[in-house]
Amino acid sequence: MSQVKTREKVLEVQNLRLSFYTRRGVYKALRGATLNLYSGEVLGIAGESGSGKSTLGLAIMGLLPRNARVEDGTVLLDGMDMIRPLRDYGSQGSRFSVKKNEKIIKRLNKTLQTVRGKKISMVFQEPLTALNPVLPVGYQIAEAVYFHDPERLIRRALSRQKVTHEELRELLNVLKAQGEERFLEEIERKGLQGLDEQILSIWRRRDIHEARKEKMILNLANVKLSRMDLMGISLYQRNMGKFPLASRFAKNALIREGYRLAVELLTFLGIPHPEKVVRLYPHELSGGMRQRIVIAIALANNPKVVIMDEPTSALDVTIQAQILDLVKDLKSDFNTSFIFISHDLSVLAEVSDRIGIMYAGQIVEIGSAKEIFQEPLHPYTKMLMEAIPTMDKTVLKTVPGSVPDMRNPPPGCAFSPRCPFAMEECRTNEPRMVEVNDEHSVACFLVRKGDKK
Amino acid sequence: MIGAFNLKKYFPVRGSALKSLYVKAVDNVSIKVNRGEVLGIVGESGSGKSTLGRLLIRLLEPTAGEILFDAPEEELKRYEDALLTNDEKTMKEISSRYSLLSKKGSELRKLRTRMNMVFQDPYSSIDPRYRILDVIMEPMISTGYLKGEEARRKVYDLLEEVGLPRNFAMRYPHELSGGQRQRVAIARALATDPDLLILDEPTSALDVSVQAQILNLLNELRRKKNITMVLITHNIAVVSYMANRVAVMYSGRLMEIGDKESVLNNPKHPYTMALISSVPRPEPGSTRKRIILKGDPPNLINPPRGCVFHPRCPMAFEKCGWSVDEIMEDMNYLLQGKYYNLFEKASVIIEGTKMYVRNVNIELLRKVINEEKDKIRSLTSIVDVTEDGEVKISEFEEPKLFKENDNREVACLLFK
Repeated sequence: MSQVKTREKVLEVQNLRLSFYTRRGVYKALRGATLNLYSGEVLGIAGESGSGKSTLGLAIMGLLPRNARVEDGTVLLDGMDMIRPLRDYGSQGSRFSVKKNEKIIKRLNKTLQTVRGKKISMVFQEPLTALNPVLPVGYQIAEAVYFHDPERLIRRALSRQKVTHEELRELLNVLKAQGEERFLEEIERKGLQGLDEQILSIWRRRDIHEARKEKMILNLANVKLSRMDLMGISLYQRNMGKFPLASRFAKNALIREGYRLAVELLTFLGIPHPEKVVRLYPHELSGGMRQRIVIAIALANNPKVVIMDEPTSALDVTIQAQILDLVKDLKSDFNTSFIFISHDLSVLAEVSDRIGIMYAGQIVEIGSAKEIFQEPLHPYTKMLMEAIPTMDKTVLKTVPGSVPDMRNPPPGCAFSPRCPFAMEECRTNEPRMVEVNDEHSVACFLVRKGDKK
Repeated sequence: MIGAFNLKKYFPVRGSALKSLYVKAVDNVSIKVNRGEVLGIVGESGSGKSTLGRLLIRLLEPTAGEILFDAPEEELKRYEDALLTNDEKTMKEISSRYSLLSKKGSELRKLRTRMNMVFQDPYSSIDPRYRILDVIMEPMISTGYLKGEEARRKVYDLLEEVGLPRNFAMRYPHELSGGQRQRVAIARALATDPDLLILDEPTSALDVSVQAQILNLLNELRRKKNITMVLITHNIAVVSYMANRVAVMYSGRLMEIGDKESVLNNPKHPYTMALISSVPRPEPGSTRKRIILKGDPPNLINPPRGCVFHPRCPMAFEKCGWSVDEIMEDMNYLLQGKYYNLFEKASVIIEGTKMYVRNVNIELLRKVINEEKDKIRSLTSIVDVTEDGEVKISEFEEPKLFKENDNREVACLLFK
């Protein structure tokens, strides 16, 4: 348990309060959501529709509509507060002007362009609406890298241009004999940065014979840039990227390199014939494939955090199983943390390390997946678990009532009107998060601190 | 209650001028529903389960096949036997009495009171301009089952039965939540006191807690009124909670049908096994082995020959219907990927329906094929590689529903 504390925190959401101003009233979508995300873990977020789980995901990304007022709270990614300007405006006074908020959001969007898609990215529920229907999928992956990290594409292209057969053979021998660490040093020494990821992506494949891999790696030296692309890259390096014709050349060259990177990524994600798939348009792909493409775009820049908002809800069970398996693999291969939002607790049980249960804009219970399923403490979590239909249940217990109207949520604990254990205290005071042990916290008056050490 | 035999539904899609193409949504499905039972039909999207449900109550006209409605058990049995022996006289005789497809006009409208359907999306299956009263009254009036004051009174009874307050009758659908709307849809389906109810994904648009309420309601109604139900869903947990018998569909065909306990706890068809093992379970850290299918369901315009499931099947063997193209894909992978060191210059050529390998040490290839047979299933269909490089492929068979002794049928050659 103690090792959990030493793990690095990558994302910290503190007491986030967010309301939507509409003609019908003020919807309090988030009412003090707090969570921490550690490196290399999958945090599952569960809740009924309307509990604010998607809003939480979008708020972390800073993707908010103009009528969203951030009343309080911080979203710290890597020490940077993602929504500070919004809070600074939203938390002062009682007057709230949507027009002014819109201006702040516009400004925020500009500053966040360097963060979104690079440090933090998002996978949405419906892959068909997340992809652009008029562009090949490879282009869309390439564009993500071109926009955030064109230097990486240049490094890749030029290092391949520079390398000779002899050098490649040497590198390959180092890789075979002395392992990846020495190999990376060797790359550094030879000044061939950019080639390493290309070689390793072939080297790490598990499905083909070593001899074939060697041939593919040695073949990298034969893939040279066309004169047009060389010109494009040199134009870009001379800072001519702003001028009309030059920018066209530069972009074409870099996107072409991006396609190569897309092929590598798709191979990694287990898509057969990636060379053909990158040229296809979204409508030509099946649902599972499209979702993999969206995941590829999200992962293209090696972000620290990926938020997945119901990524499998539109897919069939067998395809869902493929995607869940993929997420488990990604967790071990990339150094990325995932927030996995889903209404299906069983799906979360498959992938998550920790699970947070949301109700009425708050996280009411959070803990390791095992504890949440085996010893749920919050009455709401318990009732959710009992409502999952399985073979051996003869009568399903239901959660009475429905999600409260978020314009005026009930006083005290928001769950108290539906809770069979509600006490006098619950209707007047709001319960705070109580730590039952290092990993498990609950917001309920029935649970006292350190109840289960 | 109802029996469907060799039911087919082909939807035309725009093809070339000479040859029109069809999507084979339901292909040769025979299914019986017994009185008072809940039959669950599970399958992925595009497996034809909704189409089958609509065919059963004739919301769609089948391309071919026969549906016998309200026929006694013996007659269904007789028809089945006649079908096997191709005894057209008996078939015609039974059809003339029970066939749902030959009914027309007022006769059909009368039958319509005895079957009804609940649709998936309670937001689009209810007319927003009708009051709830009119919504529920509509089937009674259009079939002439009840009218006027009687019908109105019946609406109030129905509302009570599905657990809604009586004053909802005067409301409009937009004032209701998803769960309440689905209750209205169920009340509407029950309006003519049907014997058969087709439930097409009744809970998939709802939250878990509301889903539980609706499922409990359906269970209660069944107990009270002894209605036969066909529950169509992709959610295996729902089927396992509700159904007595389960039918599994894949790509328009029936894969397995039998009692719930045997099909879900001890699946026999490889597809059912994979389907059930890929259902996520609320047990974190469980070590049960999952079968993860590779690839996607096939294109139904041009489905694979033999068994439709064989390209994804982890247990497929030589007779399942492998085609040269499928084998070539795997051969190429062997020769140019996995065993590249052994067959550096090899190539695979297809001429018509024959396949040849070139520049290959035949002995070595035979050995490799033998070794890889367990993992790459298409290789099982290679009978031999001759000295001149021709790859000989075994014959294939079409799977039928084979009877197993525990009251189930499996469409897989493994159970022949």
